[in-house]
Amino acid sequence: MTKYIVRRLLQAIPVVFLISVVCFFLMLLAPGGPQAQFNQNRFVTQDQVNAWLQHWCLVRNPGPLDMLKEYGGWLGVWNCHAGSLLSDQNLPNFLPGFLGGGDNGMLHGDWGISIYLNQPVADVILGRLPVTMLLMTTAWIIWLTLALLLGVMAAVKRYSIFDQIVTFFSYTFYSLPTFWLGLMLIYIFAVSLHWFPSQLIQSPRISPGPFASSVWWTAFWTNPGKYGWDVAMHLVLPVTTLVAVSVAGDSRFVRSAMLESLNQDYVRTARAKGLGERRVIFRHAFRNALLPIITNGALEVAFLFSGAIVTETIFSLQGMGYLFIQGLQAHDYFLLMGIVFIGAILVVVFNLVADVLYAVADPRIRYD
Amino acid sequence: MTSRIELPLGVEASVQSTGPGPERSDDVEVALKSLGQWQLAWKRFLRHRMALVGLAVFSAIALIAIIGPIVAPYNPIDIPGAKEQGGDPPTLQHIFGTDDAGRDVFTNIINGAHISLAVGLFSTLIAGVIGVIVGALAGAAGGFTDNVLMRIVDVTFAVPLLFLILVAAVFFGQGSVISLILVFGLLQWGLIARLVRAQFLSLRETDFVEAARAVGVSNLRITFRHILPNALGPVIVVMTLLMASNIVLEAFVSFLNFGIAATEPTWGNALSNSQGAMGDGNWWWAFFPGMCIALTVISINFIGDGLHDALDPRARL
Amino acid sequence: MSTVVDLEGVSPITEGRAVGSPPPPDVLLDVRGLKTHFHVMDGTVPAVDGVDFQLKRGETLGLVGESGCGKSVTSLTIMRLIDIPPGEIVAGEIWFDGQEILSLPMAEMRRIRGSDMSMIFQEPMTSLNPVFTVGDQIAEAVKAHRHVSKKEARNRAVEMLTAVGIPSPERRVKQYPHELSGGMRQRIMIAMALSCDPKLIIADEPTTALDVTIQAQILELIKSMQERTGAALLLITHDLAVVAETVQRMAVMYAGKIVETGTAQEVLLNPKHPYTQGLITSIPSNVPRGQRLNVIRGTVPNPFRMPRGCRFEPRCPFAFEPCQEFDPPLLTTDRDRRAACWLLYPPSELPRPGATTPDALAPAAPVARERVNKQ
Repeated sequence: MTKYIVRRLLQAIPVVFLISVVCFFLMLLAPGGPQAQFNQNRFVTQDQVNAWLQHWCLVRNPGPLDMLKEYGGWLGVWNCHAGSLLSDQNLPNFLPGFLGGGDNGMLHGDWGISIYLNQPVADVILGRLPVTMLLMTTAWIIWLTLALLLGVMAAVKRYSIFDQIVTFFSYTFYSLPTFWLGLMLIYIFAVSLHWFPSQLIQSPRISPGPFASSVWWTAFWTNPGKYGWDVAMHLVLPVTTLVAVSVAGDSRFVRSAMLESLNQDYVRTARAKGLGERRVIFRHAFRNALLPIITNGALEVAFLFSGAIVTETIFSLQGMGYLFIQGLQAHDYFLLMGIVFIGAILVVVFNLVADVLYAVADPRIRYD
Repeated sequence: MTSRIELPLGVEASVQSTGPGPERSDDVEVALKSLGQWQLAWKRFLRHRMALVGLAVFSAIALIAIIGPIVAPYNPIDIPGAKEQGGDPPTLQHIFGTDDAGRDVFTNIINGAHISLAVGLFSTLIAGVIGVIVGALAGAAGGFTDNVLMRIVDVTFAVPLLFLILVAAVFFGQGSVISLILVFGLLQWGLIARLVRAQFLSLRETDFVEAARAVGVSNLRITFRHILPNALGPVIVVMTLLMASNIVLEAFVSFLNFGIAATEPTWGNALSNSQGAMGDGNWWWAFFPGMCIALTVISINFIGDGLHDALDPRARL
Repeated sequence: MSTVVDLEGVSPITEGRAVGSPPPPDVLLDVRGLKTHFHVMDGTVPAVDGVDFQLKRGETLGLVGESGCGKSVTSLTIMRLIDIPPGEIVAGEIWFDGQEILSLPMAEMRRIRGSDMSMIFQEPMTSLNPVFTVGDQIAEAVKAHRHVSKKEARNRAVEMLTAVGIPSPERRVKQYPHELSGGMRQRIMIAMALSCDPKLIIADEPTTALDVTIQAQILELIKSMQERTGAALLLITHDLAVVAETVQRMAVMYAGKIVETGTAQEVLLNPKHPYTQGLITSIPSNVPRGQRLNVIRGTVPNPFRMPRGCRFEPRCPFAFEPCQEFDPPLLTTDRDRRAACWLLYPPSELPRPGATTPDALAPAAPVARERVNKQ
């Protein structure tokens, strides 16, 4: 199993590499360039723009070779300040620092600097990670519980009123645009009813500092109830938005996986043995229906990450999705690359988690 | 148990084709053709009530999209000014209310319909055509070709697609409808290619393909005559769902101001403009465009559901 | 008719129904006028449409017919394993071991299933749950009916594996179904079915999915296990050779009805019903070399458009005047020998066009049609 996991991770390297190439060149090939943000600014001279570009190791209107160099700089193969493939120690730049390689680029753990925020990308992302993690984890748990509960019940009580209600709601919610649902929830529960806040992860009035920063944690431990409750209230609408659409789709999925399982011969065998319905359903049918659900549940994490873009934008949550939109608006190459990279890692890891869990749950599957 | 007692509609057909009369054993292909696979699917589709409702609703929306600008009650370019700040609520004159500039929301929706539908339809068609070609190539050729093509597909799956689409839309979209269609289409064929390839691989092992091979049908003919038509069923279903999701995607991208130029009256732009008005309690401006998107998407999803049952009866639950 | 799976364990079908009197005590299973229909999208399929037979204690009965004739549905109805809906047990009684089981609450039926009456299914590949070890699955059956500890159930599983001739049973109980061959899995199924010493074993095409070389072994095993335990055996098959080798009595089914019953020897050597005759003469070994095989012409009737009279009439070479309009009831021709064919009736007892048939099995109100009277 360990061998399998290592092999899968090694196989993922070229794919992640390719996606970084695609994404980087997509941005470089676009007309305008990062200097476009100064186009409207009368106070910035051309020389200043050039100096600015040089500072970031970028080139105005890059040719193919310039693009390769820029990408090489991001990756850590190209020593852009020396303009060479060799590090300052005259050794190949891609080598680790202690072997005389360079110190720039992803290979050396340097995610670059956010042009827009003028901070290291890694720091920016780390600062925004807690909000996204909290949002996604909460949504994931609620999503899983609801989808399983509704799906299994609907399958077991197939064609009943309950099943039809679940079917109706899942069709409706599945077709609603997530962001529009968010807007409507804001209108109903925040603007009209004033039940829940519609913006940010905590109220500015009580906020001791950025969410999950060390200042925040210190304050939190003095009064967990107060700060925890505040964050929880702020999470209600975003999580509802994020969960509603996913649950709609996945309760259908669970239902059909469960129905498929209930129709299998071994379920009939279990009944023929004289087992009780509960045992037939939950031990024999559900255990097998779980197999596709596990895969789906792990893959859902990547989907929730996309959903975070939508919800964080609408609810102004200072997480990675919101950061991504800000980076897009500012054409912030390195920040965008950093977030896409995280997305790629999430996909790789959870695909692997799905496969490993599948092997654990299904004795027929052996990886070696 | 239900699945085992499976006789709807296919009954007559199977009686025809299984009739083991010795005088008919040599024209297997003719017998298969007489099944009228697509006619049968259409018959099954007609029996799916929700799919028919979906088809009716979608046809109405499509009709409005085409003739809409002619029947729209107001001129979309007029800016009469609203009585209230943030737009007027629905009245008999303006059944969906107006926006802050006093433009009729209903007129805007009608005028935006064709853009939303066009983006959904054409981006899906591009993704579908490329996906079927690549998938069929990979599935039929196998070996090295398959490996290379599937690694390319893997790349588009290596990251949540929304990120790539947003990056491409921001850097290449430039507010034009056509570039947005291209961005959606060119980034989404991977899903369909995978599906077609998987269909090819499983159909290649089926008895009827084995039988065709056994009687000496050429590989090319097996690919196009026997495998491709059977692989298309699920592809059509997935394309229907993709079209629905692309309509939502267009609205979202435009909502973020990364999509179609804000001057165009698309549904996404209407939502984008109305975002601020929500806090003032002006719900109608955002509500109706969103409802139109939801209605379109739900009708397409129902059609997809009907197609799913019609084209793949074995998968019916 | 409310839900597919009733968690509450209450049978919604036939409670409080008036039933007839029990059969004599030596009769283990008595099926009377059983009708199981399926309501599907296109209409109603009368899968089982009036089936009567008896099975005495320790006796073996073969239920024979081509695929789709309703023999499997009959067996599933006896086990009460029909999904309701789409299925519906329209009419009939099933007496098992002195009680009428169609009117039993599901909870009590569950107590009978797997202990007094158990079933061996056709597909050993799919009938075992892939995610549990075979030992678990047998022990589960034991634990469902006996108050035994986990360890005792486990020991019983090993004991049963030994009884069905599986080598190194101690090792096999820990294996998953996919690690075993088809024949091995069918032995597991047999071990599971017999683990609670049933009075009735229903074997639904137990050898059809197996290799020919294994078939005889499995059949031999079922027979020897049945003889050893003294259980009655209801063997469902389309294979006349299997019947000839295994059972004492047989019943032939066609299109949801029983058309002929009797001892296996009598029916096979002296078939009365044209359908049985067709079945027997279409066995290749019965036809001299070089001669064309006999086939029953035509196909099984469309279940949505069953012939009004005798269901075999459209395919019957001997069909004559009453066949098209009236469905022949089973006629006792000899002691314990019955067949449903108008050819066997004396001319005086044949129904006249437009008349009502002497038996309730015939269509309720047959519409008279003008026809040339051949007689």
